[in-house]
Amino acid sequence: MKEGLTIVVPVKAGVPNITAVRFDPVTHNIVREGVPLMLNPYDRNALEFALRLKDKYGGKVITLSMAPPSGKDFLESTVGMGADEAYLITDRVFAGADTLATSYTVARTIQKLFPNFDLIVFGEETTDSTTAHMPAQVASWLELPYVYYAVDAEVDVKNGMIRVTRYLEDEGVYEVYEYKLPVIISVYKNSNPPRDISLNRKIQARLSGLVKSVTNNELKLDTFCVGLRGSPTIVAKLEEAKPIERKKQIFKGSPEEAAKWLLENLVKEGVIKA
Amino acid sequence: MSTAQQQRICSEWEPINKSEYRGIWVYIEHANGVIKEGSLQLIGKARELAGKLGDADVTAVMLGYNLGDLVKEPIYYGADKVIYIDNPVFSKYIPHVYAEAIVYLARKYKPEIILFAGTKRGRELAPYVANSLRTGITADCTDLDVDPKTRDLDQVRPTYGGNMLAHIRTPTRRPQLASVRPNVFPTPPRDTSRKGEVIREEFNEVIDPRGPGLVEVRSVVKGDELPPVEKSDIVVVAGKGVGGPDGVKLLTELAKELGGTIGGSKKVVDAGWLPSDRQIGQTGKTIRPTLYIGVGVSGAIQHIFGMKESRIIVAINSDPNAPIFQYVDYGVVGDYKDVVTKLLELLRNRKKG
Ligand SMILES: Cc1cc2nc3c(=O)[nH]c(=O)nc-3n(C[C@H](O)[C@H](O)[C@H](O)COP(=O)(O)OP(=O)(O)OC[C@H]3O[C@@H](n4cnc5c(N)ncnc54)[C@H](O)[C@@H]3O)c2cc1C
Repeated sequence: MKEGLTIVVPVKAGVPNITAVRFDPVTHNIVREGVPLMLNPYDRNALEFALRLKDKYGGKVITLSMAPPSGKDFLESTVGMGADEAYLITDRVFAGADTLATSYTVARTIQKLFPNFDLIVFGEETTDSTTAHMPAQVASWLELPYVYYAVDAEVDVKNGMIRVTRYLEDEGVYEVYEYKLPVIISVYKNSNPPRDISLNRKIQARLSGLVKSVTNNELKLDTFCVGLRGSPTIVAKLEEAKPIERKKQIFKGSPEEAAKWLLENLVKEGVIKA
Repeated sequence: MSTAQQQRICSEWEPINKSEYRGIWVYIEHANGVIKEGSLQLIGKARELAGKLGDADVTAVMLGYNLGDLVKEPIYYGADKVIYIDNPVFSKYIPHVYAEAIVYLARKYKPEIILFAGTKRGRELAPYVANSLRTGITADCTDLDVDPKTRDLDQVRPTYGGNMLAHIRTPTRRPQLASVRPNVFPTPPRDTSRKGEVIREEFNEVIDPRGPGLVEVRSVVKGDELPPVEKSDIVVVAGKGVGGPDGVKLLTELAKELGGTIGGSKKVVDAGWLPSDRQIGQTGKTIRPTLYIGVGVSGAIQHIFGMKESRIIVAINSDPNAPIFQYVDYGVVGDYKDVVTKLLELLRNRKKG
């Protein structure tokens, strides 16, 4: 085992205001070009998770993102938080990718650039697409064990083993998984509150060019596996969400009258026993 | 365009013949001898989709060790068939091992659709399965339909903050995968007179687990004893407008009085007034109780998202222009404390006499 850990943290440039976005009229995909991007908030918890492991066991933390060229800026903020280097995977052929094609691009890039990685640490999901697909899909491409909702991990650096504790919110249980490195982890979004982004480090990142761009010239991925062509899913239609018809009866009056009115109606509806 | 060009696909995808794929699968999640509600609900939806397709049956897929009679349960809820593997490998849950087993079965039987309950574990398994089959997947669908002509699954999911609904399809690949959060569809009735076929499969594929996998499970002792939000017919939901833990306490009393449970908006959970497993909304739980009462909840779209399927929606809010009033059956404009206190009084008096 080499010295310290090599931890890759794939991050996403989220569209900050999800209610004010434009869509491509043909592909129905969100238009990212020219939109100011921000780091997906849950990726900061993932980066914190990775940085804590680095603080404890040494090594380096590398962030990486597939995004339009404007993604450089938010990657600089990951360096500002403590990442050692950052990579922007950017090429027109990657545009229009669904989660299968995105995971392919991310997985093969990691294999190419950091073949000796120990850990890939993802955020639980993104706030703009909320699929949580990426960690499992990258695990599938790389044929590696994976575990979601991680809150903590301990590494046995000598033997190359990791113990990951995860929290399953809906069952109220903690589970501990033990694996041989490398593995893939996604971090429970309500854990590992992220440290601040140092403005100094962020500026330093820009001045010393710590964010590097890679295109498909270097990656040489089959163009039928990436972008729109590598995406089996299509958005067939986008429509406004229509709410269910409601009675919309509104009562204004004294609290006594209001309470009486409510109770009568709920009994009438049969949702409270008469 | 020549046929050769049309057929050019990613070098890492196996070519498939769509017409070889038939039938709808539901992956059955279970624990301690009980099938998860979300899986049962999908059997109901799958029945409906199979009816539209005409020549498709509904198959429940189960993995476990010492499953016993549990394998018959999916049939009682509407499955035509159960395919299961009973193997010590599955005595502990290891995500990639479970996922690989489902992939193995799907390669063998070629279903056209596979549905997963969007529980924490379901959301962890489904994308790995889809990816390994080199096909598409849609997370957290709020509706599903099929096109009987193309047999494409119409996967509807809210997107971009819930203002839009995306209809997602996987026209060129099979199977088509989707996850659906629990309680989006109703649970079908249990009918023990239903008959179906039960098929036991072996699992001899050796998957290198690369470690012992799961080594420890710890239960969190819950501080409050009210049932989980997705299990209750009546859910009283505290919003930021209740002002603090005391407000939540008052609403918890109301919930108890009504025989229901307590939930909260994201702001209430973020403030630490309620645990995160009680959060209702896009990034919390989806509920469809018979009665939802939102108190001091403004009605942000991300919140509405998790409760808009409730049968009756009630809101109490001091602001007559609060967005939540757009979604209610019965709304009361007023200070929550006064209204809830009066309501509690009425309810308690009713009980007395
Ligand atoms: C990506 C994303 C995901 C999100 N996911 C969720 C989610 O899952 N669930 C969720 O709930 N939110 C979610 N949100 C947050 C959501 O946008 C709102 O911020 C949140 O729902 C507001 O909570 P609230 O209604 O409790 O508080 P507020 O918006 O602060 O509303 C408080 C309400 O209380 C009323 N009020 C004040 N005093 C009184 C009184 N004395 N009596 C009666 N009424 C009173 C006010 O008029 C107001 O309408 C998400 C946001 C984002 C960006």
